[in-house]
Amino acid sequence: MKSPLHLDLLKEEERLSSSPIRLRVLLPLITTFFLLCALLVWGLFEIQVLGKRKLMANVENAVKSVTPVHAAVLASRDQEKEMRAGVQQLSLYKHARNVFGPTLSIIAAQVPTNIQFTEMRIFPPQTASEPSRSVNPPPAPTNTLERVSLRIAGRTKGSRASESVNDLMAALQTAAFTNVFRSVSIPKGAFRLDTSRNQSALTANESLLFEITCECEPRRFE
Amino acid sequence: MTLDMPFLKQLAPSMKRPLAFSASTLLATVVLLFVGILPERKTIHATDNNLQILNARLTQMRADIANADQQKRKTEEALAERDALIASGVIEPLLGSFAMRGKTLLDPIAQRTGFHIENVRELPPIQLQLPKIHPEQTHCRQPIEFTGQGSYFQITDFITQTESNNPMATLSSLLILAMPNTPENHKAILTFEWPAKGEKAKAPSTKGK
Repeated sequence: MKSPLHLDLLKEEERLSSSPIRLRVLLPLITTFFLLCALLVWGLFEIQVLGKRKLMANVENAVKSVTPVHAAVLASRDQEKEMRAGVQQLSLYKHARNVFGPTLSIIAAQVPTNIQFTEMRIFPPQTASEPSRSVNPPPAPTNTLERVSLRIAGRTKGSRASESVNDLMAALQTAAFTNVFRSVSIPKGAFRLDTSRNQSALTANESLLFEITCECEPRRFE
Repeated sequence: MTLDMPFLKQLAPSMKRPLAFSASTLLATVVLLFVGILPERKTIHATDNNLQILNARLTQMRADIANADQQKRKTEEALAERDALIASGVIEPLLGSFAMRGKTLLDPIAQRTGFHIENVRELPPIQLQLPKIHPEQTHCRQPIEFTGQGSYFQITDFITQTESNNPMATLSSLLILAMPNTPENHKAILTFEWPAKGEKAKAPSTKGK
């Protein structure tokens, strides 16, 4: 029995795939599909961008249209801030105001008959005597408290001279004065003999000098 | 530069064409992805952000505008408050002189109380502390020195009435000296200070933030 002879004349690359869709068709289809999808997405994005740009232009126009009115509102707000800051600064001053008149008026009633005041002094506020050396000096004083003191200098004589000065000090520490005077003291060495007077008169009726320092409520710039 | 790939040479011409087409479409897709889609996506995000910011700004502006009447009222209140404070005793120079302003203010009181003013002198202004929010128009303390004579009660009456008639005037320094020849009459140097307009500060840099 003769077996049939099969002659295979196909080259390797000429053999067909067993798949019903050939690769040479499928591959371009897939890549074309991807390209079309990409084009579609790009198109959609482009439409979206155009829409958003239009929207943005509308919002920008709306912002532009309200800007003058808004600027007026902002100017009014700035003006309010400026006014309030001005009020605050003046309030600092007002809060730091000390009233002396009524207190000084009633001091005279407390002075014993053998005491004579020679001087009453409230020292002026101390300000910086030389310009600040710092690179960025503050635009205004930064201290919120300012010391105020009243110095009373006087003369007394008689057998009860020291008691009279003590009485005066005690009187200055009563409730009538405590709203203005925080503390009352005689500085060391300030109660002394008045040596400038005629020495012969001292023995009979010696004259004494005194100074009383009344530390007042400080001015509070707060 | 040539592409030397033996694998491509072995392919049949019928396969080479679809492969080349596929490769070029794939390349076009990639190019489109990187040149078109991704930048476009970035643009969309950026536009979205800008739009969000702009919308927020517009909303804020509209809210501000809606409160314009309220803001106007607040400003008027602040203005009235400041004007009231200024009217209560912030002094201005009289023809360039604070001394003359002070004399004008206190002469009637001196006449009422009998305190005899002999001299008035303007002292250098003292800077006033600033609040946390600095005003552009600052104020300073303007001391004015009054020298005169009177009895102790005339002097204290003068001080009391000056303080009660001028709610912003403050006695900042005082010197009452006994005079040996006139025991009832004393020399007094009184310094009253008032707030006055100071320098205009530079606009704060934080403004508008």
